[in-house]
Amino acid sequence: MKYSYFPGCNLKTNSVGFEETAIAVSKKLNAELVEMPEWNCCGTIHTQTTDNLMKRIAPVRNLARAAEHVKNLENSSKEVIHKQVVTLCSMCNSTLKIVNAEVKEDTDKLEPINWQLEYDNLEYKGDMEVKHFLEILRDDIGYETIMESVEKPLKGMRIASYYGCMLLHPEIAKIDDQEAPTVMESIVQALGAEVIDWPFFKFCCGSYHIVGEEDLVNIQVHTLIDAAKKRNANSIIVACPLCRYNLEHEQIELIKNGKMKNSLPIFYFTQLMALALGIKPMKLYHFEEHLVNPKPFLKELGLIGRKKSK
Amino acid sequence: MSKTKSETKQSAEPEKVRIYIMGSRYDVPTGLTIMKAMEYAGFKITRGAGCRAGFCGACSTVYRKAGDFRIYAALACQTPVEDGMVLTQLPFVPAPKPKYKIDDLRPSANSILRYYPEVARCLSCNACTRVCPQEINVMNYIQDCLHGKLAKAAEESFDCVQCGLCTIRCPAEIPQYHVAMLARRLHGKYNIPTPKYLEIRVKELEDGKYEEGFQELMTIDKKKLKERYTTRDFMDQKKGGGDE
Repeated sequence: MKYSYFPGCNLKTNSVGFEETAIAVSKKLNAELVEMPEWNCCGTIHTQTTDNLMKRIAPVRNLARAAEHVKNLENSSKEVIHKQVVTLCSMCNSTLKIVNAEVKEDTDKLEPINWQLEYDNLEYKGDMEVKHFLEILRDDIGYETIMESVEKPLKGMRIASYYGCMLLHPEIAKIDDQEAPTVMESIVQALGAEVIDWPFFKFCCGSYHIVGEEDLVNIQVHTLIDAAKKRNANSIIVACPLCRYNLEHEQIELIKNGKMKNSLPIFYFTQLMALALGIKPMKLYHFEEHLVNPKPFLKELGLIGRKKSK
Repeated sequence: MSKTKSETKQSAEPEKVRIYIMGSRYDVPTGLTIMKAMEYAGFKITRGAGCRAGFCGACSTVYRKAGDFRIYAALACQTPVEDGMVLTQLPFVPAPKPKYKIDDLRPSANSILRYYPEVARCLSCNACTRVCPQEINVMNYIQDCLHGKLAKAAEESFDCVQCGLCTIRCPAEIPQYHVAMLARRLHGKYNIPTPKYLEIRVKELEDGKYEEGFQELMTIDKKKLKERYTTRDFMDQKKGGGDE
């Protein structure tokens, strides 16, 4: 099975490990993510102004291009491809889902946007679905298949699943129950790690305030990390490059200012899946992108670099 | 729009087309390019004209056609006039051009965003691609820059003549052609090996190998210079003649 995959800017610049491990995992689970040959910015952040169609051209163009990609994939692979486009970044997922729903419902909006796509011989017919990779893992692949594919259970990891805002909000873009999501926890369980139940799974990381109001982000992250530690978590998984950056960057600040003693490593869920599925080489993980180096933690648990440590 | 061949031969025909230059009507022979038609009508173009061969990008222009709501753009030296065209000539395209030291940068998306943060404002409307007389996929290379794919951006933008039409049409106010130049510089400096012949040629220049030839050209009179130019032989270059 193949899927049309939309990466987004961050996955190509500062979250390469997220993308490369996700693609490796998708291949291993026989649900390959194939990158769209041409794509543009998802259109983030989705505008709240209902009549600003200009800001909706980018997402609609991506949906039209993805529809073309699905057709081409179908022709080249001779198998049925779902009319779906799969995302990894939770912000892209949210933006594309919201606009997709908007233009499907309101064709008066879709028509003038399609006029802008005319020149490229593109037309969005409102026939695509936007899916987050987590949804594919849950609905198409299934937790059991994941569990059966595990080669190296993540023993010793006690993982707090962090959804952040964008995976669950707004209603129209949610990938799971807004108050009691289970998809990330179920994957953690399938990988053989301990699930940490905590109420801060969607407590805002501070998001774009990192640019102008870092103090605010600092408070949010302090609260989050303390909460995770209190519940005995030794690591956190995320699905958003910005959440990962904020959680790591502010931990370093907190330690620097003496407000925190030690840091918790932050992982993309795909990195841990890849680890448990025995995917190599290690350079796919791009741990060097992380501000909080997760390698000592993984070594201590014997999950990486066994050969070197005697 | 591909480069159209000079169609001046047809100008002998008596047929004329009606065009409007800055609002006034002129009847000009069919087959003239926009630039020649304006000159036929008596305008002297001092800015907004250059090589007259579709390479320098100085003569970018916008126009409309009779009974068509769209705004069109082209190089004036390459586009024949049509009946009912509404014309003007752009003297210059203002676009910010920050200074940077290429040695201090890294080949990454962030280097581009540092000097051209407006790249992140791209709405993906594709107005830039639509307007490009070189048929470059401008929006795609702007997006490639945003994703740090500098090799792709450099290749896509390679035929750019820097006419600036993309910049005029961009609702996000991105100076695409300057962004492309930075992408190509970063790609050229950091991603591809320096060719040997370049080092050799630079050394030759520094050693003053061509100094004598240049000095000679500077002193000979115009007539001789013209003669030399029209009878020049490109094959001479291999024997160490001057670079044209």
